Amino acid sequence: MADVTTYAAPADLDRLRTRALYAGVAGLVVCGIGLVVDRDHFFRSWLTAYLLFLGIALGSMAFVMINHLSGGSWGVFRRVFEASSRTLPLLAILFLPVVLGMGTLYSWTHEDHVQADEVLRHKAPYLNVGFFLIRALAYFAGWILIAWTLTRLSKRQDEGDMSVNLTLQYVSGAGIVFYAFAATFAAIDWIMSINPHWYSTLFGFIFIGGQGLSALAFTIVISAWLVRREPMAALLRPSHFHDLGKLSLAFVMLWAYFNFSQYMLVFAANIVEEIPYFIARISHGWQFLALFLVIFQFAVPFLLLLSRDLKRTPYRLVMVAVWLLVIRYIDLFMLVAPEFDASGANLHLLTGEHESGFYVHWLDLAAPLAVGGLWFWMFLTQLAQRPLLAVGDPYLREALQSGGGH
Amino acid sequence: MATEHPHDRLAHVSDGSAALRVSPPVIAPGHTFESVTDKISGIVLTKRTPIGWFFGFAIAFAFLMLLNLTIGHLLMTGIGIWGNNVPVGWAFDIINFVWWIGIGHAGTLISAILLLFRQQWRTSINRFAEAMTLFAVACAAMFPLLHTGRPWLAAYWLFPYPNTMGLWPQFRSPLIWDVFAVSTYFTVSLLFWFTGLVPDMATLRDRAQSKAARVVFGVLSLGWRGSAKHWQRYEMAYLLLAGISTPLVLSVHSVVSFDFAISVLPGWHATIFPPYFVAGAIYSGFAMVMTLAVPLRKFYHLEDFITMRHIHNMTKVMLVTGMIVAYGYANEAFFAWYSANPYEGYMMMNRMTGPYAVFYWSLIAINAAMIQLFWFRRVRDNVALLFVLSLFVNVGMWLERFIIIVTSLHRDFLPSSWDMYAPTRWDFAMFTGTIGLFLSLFFLFIRLLPALAMFELRTIVPQAKVQAGHHG
Repeated sequence: MADVTTYAAPADLDRLRTRALYAGVAGLVVCGIGLVVDRDHFFRSWLTAYLLFLGIALGSMAFVMINHLSGGSWGVFRRVFEASSRTLPLLAILFLPVVLGMGTLYSWTHEDHVQADEVLRHKAPYLNVGFFLIRALAYFAGWILIAWTLTRLSKRQDEGDMSVNLTLQYVSGAGIVFYAFAATFAAIDWIMSINPHWYSTLFGFIFIGGQGLSALAFTIVISAWLVRREPMAALLRPSHFHDLGKLSLAFVMLWAYFNFSQYMLVFAANIVEEIPYFIARISHGWQFLALFLVIFQFAVPFLLLLSRDLKRTPYRLVMVAVWLLVIRYIDLFMLVAPEFDASGANLHLLTGEHESGFYVHWLDLAAPLAVGGLWFWMFLTQLAQRPLLAVGDPYLREALQSGGGH
Repeated sequence: MATEHPHDRLAHVSDGSAALRVSPPVIAPGHTFESVTDKISGIVLTKRTPIGWFFGFAIAFAFLMLLNLTIGHLLMTGIGIWGNNVPVGWAFDIINFVWWIGIGHAGTLISAILLLFRQQWRTSINRFAEAMTLFAVACAAMFPLLHTGRPWLAAYWLFPYPNTMGLWPQFRSPLIWDVFAVSTYFTVSLLFWFTGLVPDMATLRDRAQSKAARVVFGVLSLGWRGSAKHWQRYEMAYLLLAGISTPLVLSVHSVVSFDFAISVLPGWHATIFPPYFVAGAIYSGFAMVMTLAVPLRKFYHLEDFITMRHIHNMTKVMLVTGMIVAYGYANEAFFAWYSANPYEGYMMMNRMTGPYAVFYWSLIAINAAMIQLFWFRRVRDNVALLFVLSLFVNVGMWLERFIIIVTSLHRDFLPSSWDMYAPTRWDFAMFTGTIGLFLSLFFLFIRLLPALAMFELRTIVPQAKVQAGHHG
C-alpha cells in the first residue's frame, strides 16, 4: 500500500488554508478594534475563544498518547490528532493577550485588592503574577516538548525506523501524567481563579474531559472533509467513524457525569465558599443558558449519538460534531462570562454586592473567528506536511481493515 | 503462529526485528475445542477434589463461622460491641462496605465494558471476576444491614413500600440512592453472570457422569440445545446486559461517594469524589482479581488460559486507575490549602501529622509510590511479585477508606467533640468473617461451576478462526 501512494493531503487544502488565514486576520482586525473601544470585553472574549482551540490541541495530544499506549483502530486518525497538537507553539503566542489582560481578568493581580481580602492573602503564594507566568511557561514548555517529541518520533517511524515504537510508548506514558497535572493547574490558573474565592476539586477533570470532547468533535469534522477526497476516500470506512462517534458519546456522557456531580454536590451542601459560583449561573438569565447546555451538550447529542447509523455516516456525524464544537464554546463562555458584567467589568474587582445579568458581546463572535482562523490555518499547514496516514505504524494495516463486520 | 492475536502477527510481519515488544498470546498455542472443554469441565466434573481445595476451604469456612458467631453476638447485644462512638459514628461498617463494593467493580468492568470494547483478553477472566463481584457485593451488603442492629427492620426503613403510616425514606439522601444502586447492581450482575453460564451448564449436563449432576446442570442450562436460534438470542441478551451494566460501573461507586461528598464535612465534601471513588474501585477490584487469578492459575494449571497477556493487562489497568487515585490524593492536598478554609486545611494537616498519620503515609506509600513499579515490564512479568503487590493494593485501598472516614469524623469543627476511634475485636471478627464468606463462596464456585467460560474460550482457539465467521 505504502509504495503506491504518499497519502498526501488533498490539493484543495491550500484554498481552505488561505481562507482560514483571511478569516483569522479579519477576526484579528475586529478584535483590535474591540481592544481599543471595549478593552475589558476583549480580554474576556479572547480568553474564552482561546480555551476552545487550546482544548482541541491538548485533547488531540492526549489522544495521540493514548493511542500509542492502547492501540485501537481509531489510530487511522492519528495524523489529524498530531497536526492539532503541533499547533501548540502558535497557541503559546496566542496566549499573550491573556497575559496582557491579566489585570482585567484576574482580580488577584491587584495588590491592594489582595491586601484587603483575607482569602486572597492566604492564596497569594500561589496566585501572584510572577508565579502565574512561570507556571504558564512551564505548562507550554512541557506540552510543546511532548508534542514535538511525539511528532519527531512519529516521523522516524514513517521512515521505517521501528526502534522508536517503544520510545513512543515511554514518552506517551510520562506525557499523559504531565498533561493531566499541567491541564489541572492550567484550569485553576486560567479559569477557576477568575473567581478567586471559589474552588472545586473536580474542576481539572471537567477541563480535561471538555478538551477530549473538543478534540474528538474537531477530528470528526476534519475527517468528514477528508473522506470526501482522495486519498482518504478509499481508506476510511464507516467503522472508523463509528469509533470516533462512540468515543464522542462517551465524552458527552462524561461531561454530563462530571457536571452533574459537581453541581449536585455543591448545591446540596450549600456552603458559602462554593455556592456563589452556581448562584451566579442559575439566576439573572444565566439559568436559561445552563438549561440550554444541559439539553444541547448532553440530552440531544446523547440521543443522536446512540444511533448506529448516524455514527457510521460521516455527513450526518459531522453535523453533530460541528454542533459539539459550538456548544463547547458556549460551555466555556458559561465558565467565564458570568464572572463579568455586561459592561465587561470583573465582578470580583468591584466593591459591594454585584451580580451579572445574561449578556453576549459582539467580541464573543469576533474572538473565536480570530483565534480560530489563525489556529485553523496553522492546523492545515501542519496537516499538509505529513502523509495523512502514519505509514510506519505497525498496527496501521490492522486498523485500516478493522471492523468491517461490526 | 496461527494461534496468536492479530496484534502479534502484525508486529512480526511489519518489522521482524524486536522493535515492538510482542505481547504474549491470549491463549497458549496448541489448544483445540476439545482440549479447552476437557480441561475446564474436568475441574468441575472430576470425582476427586484436590486436598489443597479442602485445606483452603477449611480455613475460609472457619472465618465464615467466625462471621456467624459475630452476627449472633451482634444481634443479641447490639452494635455497642463495635468501636463506633461519638463522633466516629461510622467506622468499620462503612469502611468495609465501601471496600467490598469497590472490589466488585472489576467484574462489571471486565464483563461489560471490555466486551463492548471488543477486548478479547476478557474471555478467560470474566467468569470468575463476575463471580467475585457477586460475592463481594454480598459481603458488602452485610454491613449496612447489620449496622442497623435490627436488620429485620431494614426493609421498613429502606424500601419505599407503600404503607399506610406515611413513613417514607428520605429520597434526598444518597444513602437511599445507595440501596437502589447496590440492589440494581447485584441483580444485573447476577443476571449477567448466569446468562453467561447457560451454554457452559449445557456442556456440563452433557458431560456429567452422575445422574444428580445431569439433573442439576440440566435444570440450570434452561433447556439449552445450542441451536442457531439459541445462540442468536443469547448473543443479543448478553450484549443488552452488557449495555445495561456499563453505566453501573460508574454509577454505583459514584453514589457511594455521594454518601460522603454530599455532607459539609472537611475531607468528605469534595466534588472530585465520584470519579476518584470509581477509579479506586476499579483499581482495588483488579487487585483482587489478580489476588485470585494468580493462585487459581497456579493450582489448577491454567497458565494456558490465564496467560501473561492477562497478567500484563490487569497490571496496566491497575496502573492507570491507581494513577487516577494518586491524582486524587494530590488534588485533595492542594485544594485543602487552596480553599483557604481553616477546617479543610486542618483536616489535611491532621491526616498527615495527626494520630492516624501512619495510616495516611502507608496508603500514600502503597497507592501513590508503590504502584509506580507497574510501569516496568520486569515487574509485570514477575507473577509472584504481582501477587504480593496486589495484596498490598487491597490493604492500601482499605486504608484509604479508613483515612477518609475516621480522620474526618474524629476531629470535626468543634474541638470539644473530638475523640479517638479504635476498633474492637468484634470489628475485626466481622471484617475477617466477611473475607471468610467471600473465600468460602469462591472455593465452592471453582469446585462446582466452570471458573472460566469454556464456550467463549473456544472462540479464540485457532479452530474457531478457520471456520468462518461467527463471534460476538
